[in-house]
Amino acid sequence: MPTITIDGVAHEFEAKQALLQFCLDRGIEVPHFCYHPAMSVPANCRQCLVEVGMTEVDRETRQVKFGEDGKPIVRFLPKLQTSCSQEIADGMVVRTHRTSDLVARAQKDTLELLLINHPLDCPICDQAGHCPLQIQAYKYGPEGSRFEFEKTHKPKRIELGPRVMLDGERCINCTRCVRFTGEVSKSHQLTIIERGVRNYPMTPPGVVFDEPYSMNVIDICPVGALTSVDFRFKARVWEMSKTASITVSNAKGSNCWYWVKDNRVLKVTPRDNEQVNRYWLPDEDRLDYERFNDGRLSGPVVDGRPSSWDAAYAAAAEVLGSVEPASILFLGSAHASVEDNWLLSRLATHLGAPAPVYIPHVDPGHGDGWLRTDDRTPNARGCEALGILPIDADSVRKRLSSGAVKAVYVLEEDPIASGVFSADDLGSAPVIVHAWHTDNRTLAAAKVGLPAAMVVETIGTFVNEDGRAQRVRPAKAIKGVNRTLMMEVGKSRHDLHGTPFDRWYDETNLVDCQPGWVSLPAVAARCGLELSYRGPKDILAEIAGSNEAFRGVSYEAMGESGVRLQETAQTA
Amino acid sequence: MSVSNGSVSKAGDWRSYQRVLLPPVKDLHKLEVYEQHGGYASLRKALTDPAWTPQAVTEEVKKSGLKGRGGAGFPTGLKWTFMPPVNPDVPRFLCCNGDESEPGTFKDRQLMEYNPHLVFEGMILASYAMSVKTSYLYVRGEYADWISHMERELEKLYAKGYVGKNIMGTGFSTDLVIHKGAGAYICGEESSLMESLEGKRAYPRSKPPFPAQRGIWGYPTTINNVETLACVPLILEKGGDWYAKIGAEKHPGPVLYGISGHVNRPGVYEYPTGMLISDLIYEVCGGIRGGKKLKALVPGGSSTPVLRADMIDGVTMDADGLRAAGSMMGTAGMLVLDEDTDMVSFLRRITHFYHHESCGQCTPCREGTGWLENIVTRIDEGEGNLRDLDLLLDLCSQMEGRTVCALADAAAWPVRYTVERFRSEFEARCRPSLVSVPETAALPA
Ligand SMILES: Cc1cc2nc3c(=O)[nH]c(=O)nc-3n(C[C@H](O)[C@H](O)[C@H](O)COP(=O)(O)O)c2cc1C
Ligand code: SF4
Ligand code: SF4
Ligand code: FES
Repeated sequence: MPTITIDGVAHEFEAKQALLQFCLDRGIEVPHFCYHPAMSVPANCRQCLVEVGMTEVDRETRQVKFGEDGKPIVRFLPKLQTSCSQEIADGMVVRTHRTSDLVARAQKDTLELLLINHPLDCPICDQAGHCPLQIQAYKYGPEGSRFEFEKTHKPKRIELGPRVMLDGERCINCTRCVRFTGEVSKSHQLTIIERGVRNYPMTPPGVVFDEPYSMNVIDICPVGALTSVDFRFKARVWEMSKTASITVSNAKGSNCWYWVKDNRVLKVTPRDNEQVNRYWLPDEDRLDYERFNDGRLSGPVVDGRPSSWDAAYAAAAEVLGSVEPASILFLGSAHASVEDNWLLSRLATHLGAPAPVYIPHVDPGHGDGWLRTDDRTPNARGCEALGILPIDADSVRKRLSSGAVKAVYVLEEDPIASGVFSADDLGSAPVIVHAWHTDNRTLAAAKVGLPAAMVVETIGTFVNEDGRAQRVRPAKAIKGVNRTLMMEVGKSRHDLHGTPFDRWYDETNLVDCQPGWVSLPAVAARCGLELSYRGPKDILAEIAGSNEAFRGVSYEAMGESGVRLQETAQTA
Repeated sequence: MSVSNGSVSKAGDWRSYQRVLLPPVKDLHKLEVYEQHGGYASLRKALTDPAWTPQAVTEEVKKSGLKGRGGAGFPTGLKWTFMPPVNPDVPRFLCCNGDESEPGTFKDRQLMEYNPHLVFEGMILASYAMSVKTSYLYVRGEYADWISHMERELEKLYAKGYVGKNIMGTGFSTDLVIHKGAGAYICGEESSLMESLEGKRAYPRSKPPFPAQRGIWGYPTTINNVETLACVPLILEKGGDWYAKIGAEKHPGPVLYGISGHVNRPGVYEYPTGMLISDLIYEVCGGIRGGKKLKALVPGGSSTPVLRADMIDGVTMDADGLRAAGSMMGTAGMLVLDEDTDMVSFLRRITHFYHHESCGQCTPCREGTGWLENIVTRIDEGEGNLRDLDLLLDLCSQMEGRTVCALADAAAWPVRYTVERFRSEFEARCRPSLVSVPETAALPA
């Protein structure tokens, strides 16, 4: 098999690829800035230089030539090569900064040069703490600077668009942002203007950088030049924890990190998943987080008055027990997890009520064939795989007006606000609603309101538009003690720096709510159905054991990047 | 024949040399006049004589030994053979580089003004040799007048059927487009020239792939200098052997020497390669202005290493001669500096140019060019320190050979060689050092 030797270690390879990516894939760190695996390779930062040589081969015999010392003769190229643009080849010999002083020196030089005009903004820069320039300067850079002149000055607050702000002085001209708009999003809304050391990215005349994916440039910028208008200066990176999860503003289930400080979500960034969203996230997903923090319904409500959880569960059970089971309308939810919808189905079955249905939220034309979808819910596909089918508003209203519905049980929805029915349509039928927010209009008309944990506070499974089942994990804590949740928080929060700035356990920011997998069994128990699980993991195991579509789906199988449902389910 | 220090000019009997690139013919820029003097006969010959296949044309150019006049001196015929085999579905391009922006270089302009048809004919012949259907003449934007001047002539050429469809009724078709650059030195670098032609920001491309693999619009492309292509009709007319015998054996042909600076008669002079520098200065250009002494010479455009007066004895203007002397032929744009020249402020001006013209893509060039100018300016203003000189040389090492294109080298070489070859002058300008000079100011390892 073809072999390449890097720092004296031989590596076999099958397909040709770029040397830098080859090294990164094998955990061999090579410092770099401009290279990004999803974009073209301009080789402009010059940080990834390495020594490249070829083993000499006899032209006729095709045999490797050996020197007097018995070692193969290697002919090194006279100039250092950029590993990002260098294709690997059989017999290639590479020396990185680990084995070559020349390379170490070149990397140090590049960093010295990058820093001569870079402002000393680290103490106030959003990127500080996870800045490739800062990290590499510490690791590979020179100790001081020999530059004794005024740094170049450029505009420091350029609003490229409504969501992205540029600090021209911090830019190291890697062109990643420009390449993103040219090659990935294809909006062509950015270009580099000026020349030489005065360069910085800018929109062409008359253009505003407002494309629906604009904020991706913030993550790929290797320095703090591009900042989020929404997030900038809100928190230092070491004050936040981050949790791997998925976004829920559409049916793509893009993989993301939720960044939390003081038990509030402050930003959402993409998490690499080659199968779903690669490195990207639409702006709508990134800006969908304030509802996790504010306006939350905290503590149960019965007849419009605060209530204890016990009293609320009892009131819900009483409603369900007081009407003909066939007259109960169970509304599942494409906003809620597979597990919670399943528990709702079990409750309905136990009572002998008709199977739950769900209200679709489809916004035709919203989808773009990429990471935004017409469907504005994260789990319609999961509901359908469970046999919870969509229902249109007309059918619901017809059933209500016919008097056939005597009680309504709503899981994480606001059917009044969605125009499915009005308070008048309900007549005297009592409503039980699992609600997130105080402004839930169905809550105002409800007999019982059970505050629900949101996607950033629970454990569960969501199935995206393409049939991929993915896990969500708790990024922030809720009020009360739930050992399953606490353990999961402990496991999934990447407390990067463990500093005392993050008061995530602070009582003031804890919402008194419960995940469906806690509140639904509590209601069911009072209806005579014992649903005892240690947690959502067991619930999913039960589903996987009884529903063909979910066969083989488990938390282990989903891991970090999810699994696809059985093919049979996809065609169903 | 001139003799100096035992060295011999390689230019033969240059005093009786007959100009071929810029012959002394009135109104030669006009198509009618050009044709009267044998113009477009080479093209007609190549297109009508079955012996002159495209391969035969390329072979003849190879035989001539013609080396590119754009600066790097790459063998032209060999470059043409890098084009992949013809595939009717894949377009291929030729680009004639008339961006001419290197300080001290102004010879292509002369051709475009006085003998544009020689350039056109060379382009059409090269297009034929490489089976190119579209060629571009990329001219620097500041040459606006020359562009309109050439466009008028090109129109006549189209009207006459010497370019475009079915040239001279032979069935061979190729188009020629004059493109006006937008005014940046970097547009002359071949890969950035192609980006610029495509309407993009003129950032040089990382190579490989080379232009013959992926050029304009991603298709095979060859780039040649104006003067290079102007040689082609002559080679076809008089033969590769004829050409190979002119001037220096390994670097033959007529050359336009663009001589500027402190000489009595600056200008563009056509002579064979291999001229003695002393002949060019003292004979051709009538010596140094005001009878002063020569101090330094930059032989081939501002980026080529400067030579001290004591280094030019017996040195000839060709690749070998200049390499032996410690410099390069470049574009043969010679800057002559007399004894009154302040080398520090001379270098200051040059560093300013490269700082201004770096495209800013690569870190070492973007940052290094400005830093070089900062330091040289400080020295020029009497504020420099002795350690700055070592810092300058160290910075040059940080830039040389580490960038996407050769502009960083072009910026570093003048600094390296001017400081090294005129070090005492720089030292005298620095602030006196009270303590002993530190060995080097290199970075701690
Ligand atoms: C910074 C830079 C500027 C250049 N400018 C020019 C130019 O103005 N004209 C030119 O013919 N070649 C220029 N060149 C050289 C071209 O890249 C290319 O080598 C040349 O046009 C090839 O033509 P030739 O083979 O006929 O010499 C430049 C190169 C560099 C690195
Ligand atoms: S703003 Fe950031 S991403 Fe864009 S070119 Fe500058 S450093 Fe690169
Ligand atoms: S070397 Fe200088 S001019 Fe050439 S690509 Fe790099 S930054 Fe641009
Ligand atoms: S990563 Fe920037 S040059 Fe290779």
